Amino acid sequence: MKKRWLPRAVAGSVVLTLGLTLAACGGSSSGSSSSGSFKVLVYGDASNKVEKQIIDTFNKTSKVKAVLQTIPGADYQQKLQTIINTKQAPDVFFNWGGGSIAPFVKAGLLLPLDDMVAKDPGLKSNFLPSVFNSAVVDGKAYGVPMRGTQPVLLFNNKKVLSDAGLTEPKTWDDLLNAVKVLKAKHITPIALGGGDQWPTLMWYEYMYDRIAGPGLFEKAMGGDKSAWDSADSRAALAKLKELIDAGAFGSNYDSVKYTDGGSVALVAQGKAGFELMGSWYYSQQQQDNPDFAKAGLGYSSFPTVSGGKGDATDIVGNTNNFYSVLKKTKYPDAVAQFLKLQYSDEFVKAQMAIGNLPTTTNTVNFLSTAAIPDYSKFQYDLVKAAPSFQLSWDQAYPQTASEAMHTAVQQFFDGKLDADGFIKAMQALPTS
Amino acid sequence: MTTSAEPRVARRRSIRRSGAAVARPGFAWAAPATLFFLLFAVVPLVLVAVLSFTNWDGLGSPQYAGLDNWKALIHDHVMIQSLWLSVLITVLGVVVQTPLSILLGVWAAGKPRNRAILSAIYFIPLLLSATAISILWRALLDPNFGVPSQAKWLFGDGNLFGHQTSAIGVLVFVGAWQYTPFHTLIYQGATRAIPPVLYQAAEIDGAGRIRQFFSITLPQLRTTMITSMILMVVGGLTTFDTVLILTQGGPGTDTTISAYYMYQQAFKSFDFGGGSAIALVLVVIATIISLIVVKVSGYDKMRSSTEGL
Repeated sequence: MKKRWLPRAVAGSVVLTLGLTLAACGGSSSGSSSSGSFKVLVYGDASNKVEKQIIDTFNKTSKVKAVLQTIPGADYQQKLQTIINTKQAPDVFFNWGGGSIAPFVKAGLLLPLDDMVAKDPGLKSNFLPSVFNSAVVDGKAYGVPMRGTQPVLLFNNKKVLSDAGLTEPKTWDDLLNAVKVLKAKHITPIALGGGDQWPTLMWYEYMYDRIAGPGLFEKAMGGDKSAWDSADSRAALAKLKELIDAGAFGSNYDSVKYTDGGSVALVAQGKAGFELMGSWYYSQQQQDNPDFAKAGLGYSSFPTVSGGKGDATDIVGNTNNFYSVLKKTKYPDAVAQFLKLQYSDEFVKAQMAIGNLPTTTNTVNFLSTAAIPDYSKFQYDLVKAAPSFQLSWDQAYPQTASEAMHTAVQQFFDGKLDADGFIKAMQALPTS
Repeated sequence: MTTSAEPRVARRRSIRRSGAAVARPGFAWAAPATLFFLLFAVVPLVLVAVLSFTNWDGLGSPQYAGLDNWKALIHDHVMIQSLWLSVLITVLGVVVQTPLSILLGVWAAGKPRNRAILSAIYFIPLLLSATAISILWRALLDPNFGVPSQAKWLFGDGNLFGHQTSAIGVLVFVGAWQYTPFHTLIYQGATRAIPPVLYQAAEIDGAGRIRQFFSITLPQLRTTMITSMILMVVGGLTTFDTVLILTQGGPGTDTTISAYYMYQQAFKSFDFGGGSAIALVLVVIATIISLIVVKVSGYDKMRSSTEGL
């Protein structure tokens, strides 16, 4: 009794005091329990139309209705963690598996899905095992894959490249050459939403993989902080520095954001040649600039770096998104029915139509019906062939580390931290 | 006149009775405000103080951590820097907004009708939410698609959010754009309240417009200036929404002011213990500053500006 009361009272008061200066967040939809509905909370972006469609399909036949709620991208994790232990908590919520749900599992808030899987083995067997397993915590399954796998790719504006006589860069030297050529034409070689910080992080993830292989980061995550100070780590930082100093990102990338459409528009309008971004970039361009997405958007995997230890077919990004279920949901059976739709043919088709690539076993049957079949096929083959798929660093590390990590990542790009400073900052991050 | 004595006695009695009631109002009168204050200020404050000695991620129960959060805070250079940044943004806000709003306010207090219409238009930014204003300016100042791309002679490469000085400049500018109208309104009202006899006398003495402004208007606005500056200081120290939307404390930690740093620790890094410690530091500093302002300005024993009239 006492234990339950204290955290709540403290939570309420902290929100009051800390929140004195904050604008109140609108919390309008708190469906009453008698109406027979459960809440599905999803990261708000261009992919939401599929979630809407699937929920509509579900509601047609189900007595218990699903209600979709979205939180715009940048604030998703904060809002989720703030509400998840309150009455406003959703029943089902979007996440990145692994590290992103570990604190909730530890706090005993999530429902292990093993019973659901026992009743309907399809909930597990219809997904690629490696993907399903990345939401397994302490031997229990806590997530069912939704949306798709999201490898980070190097996108380009085909017209800008062909006008400059360039082709998609296969090697690091190709990329440096493209930077030089585009810069001479007064085009920003690579668009970067540095104001958001996490797009900058993607460059580190690939550089470290190509030069040191996936082992370095795994070692560092495992608690061996000396990995950051290794020769490979320094070599990766030196290569990044080389790219920055070559003017690859222009000079005002810190004032540009991906989340407000700034960097997206740069590429679409031909003011920049490349952008490194997750595969969701396609649906973003489709929403913002449909004509460009159809005809002008090119893509390739990250170039190889000669002398590096990493496999040239390694990828980084978000392995998948997941739906997890709260223990206190009143409608576990209805939720189980809802989760079944995440491997339905309708779901797979709808995801493919907006350029996402679901990781269900039936995906391969629908590759030809995708919005851009080549794009889906390209990703599918990439993911299938990759010896390593590194989860984004800020998702792999605990949430408590992400702010400090983003700051260090930005400061090294700006030259405010040198390699030593960056290494020190990474060593200071909590790993558990 | 036989009745004259009676009412006097009665009046004296009633005065005594009501006088006693007015001089010492019962606790009941203060109860609602006291209760409100206890519930929404003191209780949360105490709980935050308790929380600053714990580790808590907002999910389970807080774990007692002793002085860990406080030790970390003392050695945290971002915290110290954030205090200086808060002060800097506050001072710059006062320096920029005060002259602007005095001049606009005095001008708007004039008779011609067009001034009333124009001041109504100037007032609009205050009606918008700080969030809307920040999003608006973020878009206007976009380096590739906003004003800087069209005015390269002024903005260079337009990397306003990539350097500390320009990022602070943007914050101060947007703050001034939003709040100057409010302070203009205060000065307009105060200027209208200055007795016209002063100006008439000055005119007879041969004082020109500028002399009148410096010798009559400004001294008469003294108390208003203090009120307005206190509001600016409070507003400056609690600046949050503009930072959240315009710079997110960046580049790096270059515009991470204390209020934003508190939010970052608590709601982005989920370190509610550390965030609470920062919150307490802010409470102490804000209290000290307001005490100093009250003392220095003589706000507690304010003299009338129309003395001797």
